[in-house]
This record gives sequence, structure tokens and C-alpha cells, in this order.
Amino acid sequence: MSDYAHPEVLVTTDWVQANLGKSGVCLVEVDVDTQAYDAGHIPGAFGFNWQTQLQDQLTRDIISKEAFETLLSRAGISNGDTVVLYGDHSNWFAAYAFWLFKMYGHADVRLMNGGRAKWLSEKDRPLTAEKTTRPATRYRAAAPDATLRARVAEVLAASARRGAQLVDVRSPDEFSGKVIAPPGMTETAQRGGHIPGAKSVPWSSAVHPNGTFKSRADLEAIYLQGAGLEPKRETIAYCRIGERSSHTWFVLKYLLGLTSVRNYDGSWTEYGSMVGMPIER
Amino acid sequence: MNHATRVYEDILQTLPSLDNPTPMVRVNRLNPCPNFLLYAKLEWLNPFGSIKDRAAAYLIRDLEQHGGLSARRGIVEPTSGNTGISLAAMCAALGYRMRAVVPNRVPLEKKVLLRIAGAELDVVNDDVCPSPGMGEGSINLAKTYARAQADKYVMPNQYENEENVRAHYETTGPEIWRQTEGQLTHLFLSLGTCGTVTGCSRFLKERKPGVRVIAVQPSEGHDVPGLRNISQLDVSKLYDPSIIDEILEVDYELAYSRALDLARTEGLLAGPSSGLIFEGARRVIERDRVGVGVAIFPDNVFKYVSNMVKHAPQLTEGTQSR
Repeated sequence: MSDYAHPEVLVTTDWVQANLGKSGVCLVEVDVDTQAYDAGHIPGAFGFNWQTQLQDQLTRDIISKEAFETLLSRAGISNGDTVVLYGDHSNWFAAYAFWLFKMYGHADVRLMNGGRAKWLSEKDRPLTAEKTTRPATRYRAAAPDATLRARVAEVLAASARRGAQLVDVRSPDEFSGKVIAPPGMTETAQRGGHIPGAKSVPWSSAVHPNGTFKSRADLEAIYLQGAGLEPKRETIAYCRIGERSSHTWFVLKYLLGLTSVRNYDGSWTEYGSMVGMPIER
Repeated sequence: MNHATRVYEDILQTLPSLDNPTPMVRVNRLNPCPNFLLYAKLEWLNPFGSIKDRAAAYLIRDLEQHGGLSARRGIVEPTSGNTGISLAAMCAALGYRMRAVVPNRVPLEKKVLLRIAGAELDVVNDDVCPSPGMGEGSINLAKTYARAQADKYVMPNQYENEENVRAHYETTGPEIWRQTEGQLTHLFLSLGTCGTVTGCSRFLKERKPGVRVIAVQPSEGHDVPGLRNISQLDVSKLYDPSIIDEILEVDYELAYSRALDLARTEGLLAGPSSGLIFEGARRVIERDRVGVGVAIFPDNVFKYVSNMVKHAPQLTEGTQSR
């Protein structure tokens, strides 16, 4: 792990075990399957529901700065805390939450490598169903960092002028337009296909079967030598609703150290539903 | 308990055994070769409606003896339905709680049956047959309950528990051996947890090494609950390829059309996995021409009405008043 461009943003399950209950360390679980946290979580962890707590419930958008402050204050998280995020599906939505924490300027946020499946696969790692409570804080967020987020107009411009390099992290069948969403997923779009000029590198290319990230050398072979991404060029990752692309955004920005990487969280559910958008299949 | 009069002190006494085997019924009109005798072993005539009653009984017995199952500490298990229904009904009879974690694509009938049998239910987005190591899904959610709420739940884990194999080594295998009077040449079944094949094959090959054990699996993308595509078999810890002679892959749509054929031509109201197994048997019979085969029919069609309508929409024609 020490080879990564920013190794400080990744912790092991051993590190989490050793820091359980430590003051200044706050665990947060964010899952695709929102019932998993209630069934059991790492002792002391809070559970954030991506559908109801990380998304604005009226406008399709991330939660506002004020809502982020309220969420973290109620969870007892302080601005100086080390926040460790973990979740199911190799940290899909934990990576999304990581991106959100960085959007609102949290200094020390990390991912637990391998997510909840790795924790669960290891003997004697404790889990509890007890609700976590901490005294409330007065968390103050920074204004959202627009350099981390791509909006549809920028994506369209990048595609048209071949400016920023676009990375489509969905499955090959979604990229080709054979399917619009993975089986069983409810968020979908009007059309299938991909953004013209995008390179297909499925998110899963970045992880081992146990959900942990591949080595820096392996990741460079996949993203730089394989897909031909140029580290100093602006890069935009997208998927369907922005969680798998957060995972790849994390890989490109923090593990490989690409200069400028943005997450297009509107992703295919936005792009593939708008009228008149250029699409390739 | 008296198997002759079939009068019992409780429902669990009706579980199958060498003295109380499930019936084997000859397949006649759909059998392509008169010199090949094919018998269907009707596992839906188990007390709770499927072959899974056998494994469930062994899993519960083992947990009662060694696993701390009690009135306070019940069972949590990932299941595509049948094991859950068996466990839930037995737990109801024995006074234990039961929580079933099922994939979303399991038919509604099975989910409702689990509720009818008193199980608490969690539905997750997962493959139609839970697969160890294949993502998060129902197995990891059940494991989470078992570890985080160990005072409330213990997980039998049918996917890794040797009791699942032992159930078939001690009941299904010996029943088939006795019912065919040792004449068996071919055994046809399908693979999910692999408890049935490993238990039956071990027993039958010990008696007669030449018995051919043939597994019939659905093609990729299937929606036949409880079964795995060939590409997913390696994740089953109870899978032992050394005691399986052939694995056939059959287009999963045939599971449904052959189930209809069995009902309409033989009077066997078999479920889709039985339809799939029958199609595999039919192909082997056309090739081998002579033999005595047993096809294990795991359950009947009653739990798959919604799936049957999906695959054979004409079934709803004429079901509404005009």
C-alpha cells in the first residue's frame, strides 16, 4: 500500500481493529444494501444511508453544505477527526461518501481497504447491531470543491473537443448499450450506450477478488499503459449514478496520483436520459 | 410412528428415511427409449415440499446437539427458498425462530411461503442462487446477523456444512439403492449447494462404482432458483467434481417447457429444476439407449406459478371471466 501516490487515505482492516474506540477516529459504513448496517456493523461505526442521507431528497443532487454539516454534527464527527469509510460492494458507496467528504473539505478521510466483505471474511473481527451514539458536534464544512465534480456541460464539451479524457467504469454490456443498468438495479436511463470518446475500464479492474485494491504497478498497467490515460491530462470518470465512478476516481486521484480527476456523478442516468445527447454504441 | 399405517406423533416423524422413502415413479410417455427405465424420485412428497427437508433436518439436529440452537437463539440462513421453507417449518414445529435471507429474484410464492411458515424475511439484490464469494448478497448478510447478533442467531450454512452431504449419504442415496434393487446405472440431478450430488454419489459409487452421475445445469443468465450455472460451481465448498461423471448445460428456457411437458404428459406436477433435469436425462437416454436411471425431482410446480407465467404467458389465457 505504501507505493500508492497518497497511501495515507487507505487503511487496512488490521489498522481499524487496532484503532477501535480510539478518540478522534470515527468509522462510517455506507452500503449499496441499506439494510446491511442494521444487521451488523463494526463497533462504533455510524451508518449513512446513501439514498436518504447523502442525496438531496427534493432536487437530484448531493446534499447541501448545510445538510452535510447537520449529518456530521449529529453523528458526533468533528472537523479534526480521522473518518474511516467502509461498505459493501468493494466500497462503492463508501468511495462515493469519500468523494462527498472531500467535496466539503474534510481533511482526514480514509477508506478501509476491502470494505465490509473483507472484515466479515476475517475471523474474530467484531460486529455489533448496537446503535452507535456520540455527543453531537458543531461540524463546519467548506464550500463544495467544484474541481472534484464534473457537470454534464463539461462532460459534453470534453467529449466534443476530446479535451478531458473520459473513463466509463461500467460493465462492458452497459458500455456497449446491450443493457442500460446491471440486473436488479432500479435507476436507469432512456438510452443505452456510452459517451463518445470514452474509454471503457470497468471499476472492477482496480480490485482483487477480495475487494482490496491492486498494487500501484498493476493499476498503472491497467489505466496508464492499458487504457492509455495520460496522468497530467484532465480526467473525468462516470458510471450510472456516480458510485462506481467514485471508486475509480479514488483510484486515479489517490492511488495513481493523476493531476486532475473529476467524478461525473450525474453519470449515465443523466446523460442517457437527456434529449439530443451524442451517444456511441 | 408407524410407516405402515402412516400415523405419526408429529410432522417431523414423516421425514424421509430408508423405511420411509420418497416415491419413485416411472416416466413412461416422455421416455424416448423403451430399454432405458427412467424413474422420477418425487422429492416434493417430503413433509415441507422439497428435497431440502433432508438437509434442513440434519442441519437442525446438528445445531441442537453442537451449535447452541435454543428457544432464544434461532436460525439465520441465506436461501433461494426451499431450504428456508424447510428450516422455517421445522423451526415452527420445534419452537425456534428463523430468519431467511433470500435473493430478490426468488419467486413471490416462496417469499410468501417463508412468511406463512413464520420466518422473518430479508430480501437482497443477489443472484437467484446465493453463491459464496460472489459479491455481498444474501450469504454475507446472513453471516453479518450470525456474527453481530450471535445471541439471537446461528447460521447452519448449507453451502459449507457437511451435514448437508451426510443427509443425502444416509437417506437419499440408500433409498435409491434399495428402490432400484441395485440395478441403477444412471443418476440425474442438478447442482446448487452440491449436498445432494456429493452425498448420493459417494454412497452409490461405493456400492457400484460404475454408476454414472450426471448433473444438468441451466445456461448462463438463468432464473431457475436453487441452481448454479457451470461457471459458478467452483464456489460451492461441497462440490466434488471427482464423483460427477458428466455435467450437461441446458438452455434454461427448457426447464419451464419440460416442466409443462411432465405435467401434461405424465401427470407429474414438477417444478422447473425437475424439467431441466428431465431434459438432461432425455438427452443421455437417447445416447445410451439402455439402462436404469433415477432423476431426482427436487420440488413441484406450485411454488413457481409466477415464473411459469413469465416463461409460458399463454398459461393465463382464459383465466379471466369475459
